Amino acid sequence: MSCYDLSRLLFDLKMNESTYQRSLSDFEAVMADYDLSAEEKDALRSGDPRKLRQLGVHGMLCLYIKRLSPQFRDNIYWAQK
Amino acid sequence: MPLVSALCASHAPNILLEPGREWDDFMDLHYSMAPSGTARRPTFEQQKKLRQDAEAAFAALRADLEQAKPDVLIVVANDQFVNFFWNNIPTFFVTTADEVKGQFTRHKFHYKNHKELGKAIVRAGMERGIDFSYGEHIELQHTQTVPLYFLLPKPTIPILPVYVNTWVDPAPSPRRCYQVGELIRAAADQSSERVAILATGGLSHFPGSPHIGEIDESFDHQLLDVMRQGKGKSLVDYSVQDLLQAGDTEFLNWMVVVGAIGDAKATYTGYMPDFVATGWGFVSWKLV
Repeated sequence: MSCYDLSRLLFDLKMNESTYQRSLSDFEAVMADYDLSAEEKDALRSGDPRKLRQLGVHGMLCLYIKRLSPQFRDNIYWAQK
Repeated sequence: MPLVSALCASHAPNILLEPGREWDDFMDLHYSMAPSGTARRPTFEQQKKLRQDAEAAFAALRADLEQAKPDVLIVVANDQFVNFFWNNIPTFFVTTADEVKGQFTRHKFHYKNHKELGKAIVRAGMERGIDFSYGEHIELQHTQTVPLYFLLPKPTIPILPVYVNTWVDPAPSPRRCYQVGELIRAAADQSSERVAILATGGLSHFPGSPHIGEIDESFDHQLLDVMRQGKGKSLVDYSVQDLLQAGDTEFLNWMVVVGAIGDAKATYTGYMPDFVATGWGFVSWKLV
């Protein structure tokens, strides 16, 4: 099964600053903009990249969920492409 | 003119990150995929030594590049979700922009793009059965900027970014990448300018995988041995799966250069596993 929307949300978290900022304030509303299953939403809420990978997401996109984790928000990774 | 210089180099971000906090950030993020992984976290002193060793390898490549006096540098690399997503994944893409830009942390990059050579390659491909995608806007990312920081820090000549999809499944075969290299070589032969080519990426690494931190040094050394012997064409028999198992899918970028240089023997090879994620590899072929 395609996980295009799940992957797209993760892509936007890194590449689209407004998606990132909105996600910090209301991640549920951002998730509602994408066609996600309940299982996909739970994996996103968990913040665990390993759970996203189990759903078929590309491993590097999985790591993008860490941008919402307080301890990773200042990680140098977001300043490099 | 024939190609005047061919190079391959890793583009691992931590080559250009500063030892210390930036390396720690890099490791923290990647190891969130494998918290109990096999990481052997290098000390600050080891990080500095790796950076010095990489700088020495890049200096060797840069000396060869500058000695060849190229008019243009083709840069063969893979996109990593900066320019391409699943709405459209090009297998091979040639940049036909006027200029290209990018940024890596505090470092900014801005080069003229050799669109005439780009279009010549696209047209040659169409005549010979290789139909490239092409486009007039791309953003450079670490897959190009990390090696360019060391090899072409000032935009004294135009570059020509060429993309190979090594990043998402399905990816092209090593044989097809070799054929693309042969085609680029033929286009260079038709050019009146001195053309150099650089492939980036690899060697063994498993980004975004529970295997992060594992480095198949044995496989990497096999690849480097083959290039020293000038027997790169033998690598076309590898499958993508062979490369995937060794964490070496970005070697598909290198296969383009291998196809471009034919049976020339590598005149310089360097290799250093970074103990974090990647076997850093460096190769040069002096062609003139």
